[in-house]
Amino acid sequence: MRPNFFHHLHPPSIPAEQSRFRYTLGAGGLGIFLSLVLLVTGALEMFFYIPSPEQAALSVQTLTYLVPYGGLIRNLHYWAAQALVVVTVVHLLRVIFTGSFVPPRRFNYLLGLGLLALILFLDFTGYALRWDEGVRWALVAGTNLLKTIPSLGKSLYGLVVGGSTLGAATLIRFYSWHVFGLTLAVVILGIWHAFRVRRDGGIAAPPPKQRTNNARISRFELVRREVLAMLLSAAALFVLAALLPAPIAAPIQAASDSLGEARAPWFFLWIQQLLRLGNPFWMGVAIPLIALTTFAALPYLFETLPTDQQGHWFPRAGRGAQAIAAGIVLAWLVLTILESLR
Amino acid sequence: MKRTISFAAGILVLALVFSAWAEARRPQPMPLTPTLTGETEYCLTCHADLEEISPSHPVETYGCVVCHGGERLALDADLAHSTMRGGKNPSDLAVVEESCGGSDCHSGQAADERDHIQRVLTSVQATYAGAIANIRYTFGAQPDLNAYLGTRAVQDTTTQTGITSLAAFDPARETNPALQTFAENCLECHLNSEPRPGDEYARFSGCAACHTPTATTFPPRSRDAAEGLVHTLTTAIPYTQCNTCHNRGNYDLRTMTFAPRDDQPADRIHDYYQPIAQFTRCEWTLDCIDCHTRSESMGDGDIHNNQKEIQYVQCRTCHGTLDELPHTRTLTDPNDLAFRLAALNQGARHLELGDTIIVTETGEPLWNTRQLPDGTFELVGKATRQYFTFRPVMGTACEQKPDEQESRYCHQCHSAER
Repeated sequence: MRPNFFHHLHPPSIPAEQSRFRYTLGAGGLGIFLSLVLLVTGALEMFFYIPSPEQAALSVQTLTYLVPYGGLIRNLHYWAAQALVVVTVVHLLRVIFTGSFVPPRRFNYLLGLGLLALILFLDFTGYALRWDEGVRWALVAGTNLLKTIPSLGKSLYGLVVGGSTLGAATLIRFYSWHVFGLTLAVVILGIWHAFRVRRDGGIAAPPPKQRTNNARISRFELVRREVLAMLLSAAALFVLAALLPAPIAAPIQAASDSLGEARAPWFFLWIQQLLRLGNPFWMGVAIPLIALTTFAALPYLFETLPTDQQGHWFPRAGRGAQAIAAGIVLAWLVLTILESLR
Repeated sequence: MKRTISFAAGILVLALVFSAWAEARRPQPMPLTPTLTGETEYCLTCHADLEEISPSHPVETYGCVVCHGGERLALDADLAHSTMRGGKNPSDLAVVEESCGGSDCHSGQAADERDHIQRVLTSVQATYAGAIANIRYTFGAQPDLNAYLGTRAVQDTTTQTGITSLAAFDPARETNPALQTFAENCLECHLNSEPRPGDEYARFSGCAACHTPTATTFPPRSRDAAEGLVHTLTTAIPYTQCNTCHNRGNYDLRTMTFAPRDDQPADRIHDYYQPIAQFTRCEWTLDCIDCHTRSESMGDGDIHNNQKEIQYVQCRTCHGTLDELPHTRTLTDPNDLAFRLAALNQGARHLELGDTIIVTETGEPLWNTRQLPDGTFELVGKATRQYFTFRPVMGTACEQKPDEQESRYCHQCHSAER
């Protein structure tokens, strides 16, 4: 069998042990698949979405209720985006818990962290594009947080919002970032990230001599497994999209700064909970940045992993990094649950 | 592996079929582009069985959103209804200006008799000023019976009565516990009050309180009727609609509560009045609106101290006195208000130029009356469409003293027995 284009995107063969689902959790591959779903459904949504404060929410309603299969496309986009956040975090944890972030994979780990940040910004901007009452918290609180940054705050706010108040300039900026700026960055960093996997020697595994099992699988088998995962996750996405519609609300009434009972999107509930605890700059800007920086510092703090411990879950030498990552993710979960129970 | 992939592909196909089936189950959108707004709305997708609200508001012209608000494009009930004005009652006075107002609609010029909303807002039925003043005076909270407070603050910039504004009655400022009990129990009924919770009370405020009959009054035609609501606006208001607020029971001033009547009237004469009241036959054969005028019930544009100041129609308005015939007007102007009022109540009465109708002492036309060639009068029931004839007092054997011409003196001889 001659390898086709898709086979050629994969290495000729990879170690059988490390290609198992229970090792990779399929998270990286699913991330690529979900990104492709988001690109296609997002491109379709662009035919109907009108990025102006008067029309945005109405055009979302038109897409959702009146365009044939429009609601389905929007729900697919929504669920793929939510799943992408989950899958990306799972991927990050897998990499840390298997010690795969140490050099030579350190740079690719940082690329991955960058992708996670970009994905959160994409979720945030996409969420704000609804421009309806449901996104009031994200819009008002999210942008106001920028103002709390010492000395830089005001100009950063002006840069993001496009003026002194939320309005048409804000929406068109969010739109441009969402459909172009951030998307382009994700595509470029994503391709780079995938390229670096192979450049860094493929999936993390012990050197051949230290392996208990030297069996390998071919790229044909690998592609078959990926197809299987895609088919199953596509089926899951369609069922989710058909059963659970994406949130929608009435258009934002007059530019008002009041928050009311507004709620953050689920992936920012932890920030909303943090903001209840103290100074907005420290809680809303500094702590999330510190968390991200801590993740970025892991491969510098824990620089080496004995080769015989590579390619396995929870290597003994990586306990420090594992504990820090688990602590941050646990705190994130607890804050999210606390806020969602309010 | 190939079998597993085929199996997974089968699952995906099932998922696709499932989403296609879910899509097919969605309602077929039913667009309507009202000529007044030009903006397509999809309310009829679910509300196709709703009767047209009135001949004056054809759905092709008005649609739904211009009065009710709501999300015109949404096909999800929760979202579509989330921005409706006034919930089940867009005519609630808190939102009436947006729903029913506008200079082309019901907040026009006083000179054209089209300032309905301003008149209602200042009317005693909305302000409840008389009762509030009376109760506060009784419990020593104010020195006289003049109106200072209403259910809500209201202004009258062109006052004829000298009252330019009322402040909102605020129970928190009252020290007497009786006034606080009054605030708790007695502020639910007037047109500008927060209605009691529950759909059955939703339309007891604003225009709908009178112009949208309840299901018990009016034959319901749609599924809203199950909730006691009818989608109708009418000027042919039957007495039963007035009775949803009036004649429902009695006030108990000791406990500051309302005691609903517990009798089960089987006929109209028993349904009509409080047990000890005196009244004449025409007061229970006609509907309230056959005699009482629009300015009495909807206000005359001025803030008044109490109901007595605004309610002026008496027996003599139609019957005159021993010395005087009732006031009449021969219709010579095709723009006479009487023609517009008759047109609004389609079919009750066909008025023609040259007809002579009774007018009140302030000149309000009783457009449902007409002088007959023999000098007697004819009245058509606005809601019942029944015809009645009646005579003036002048020239009869009536022995009433000239200085005792109020209705209560008429009741002494002419009251009905039950």
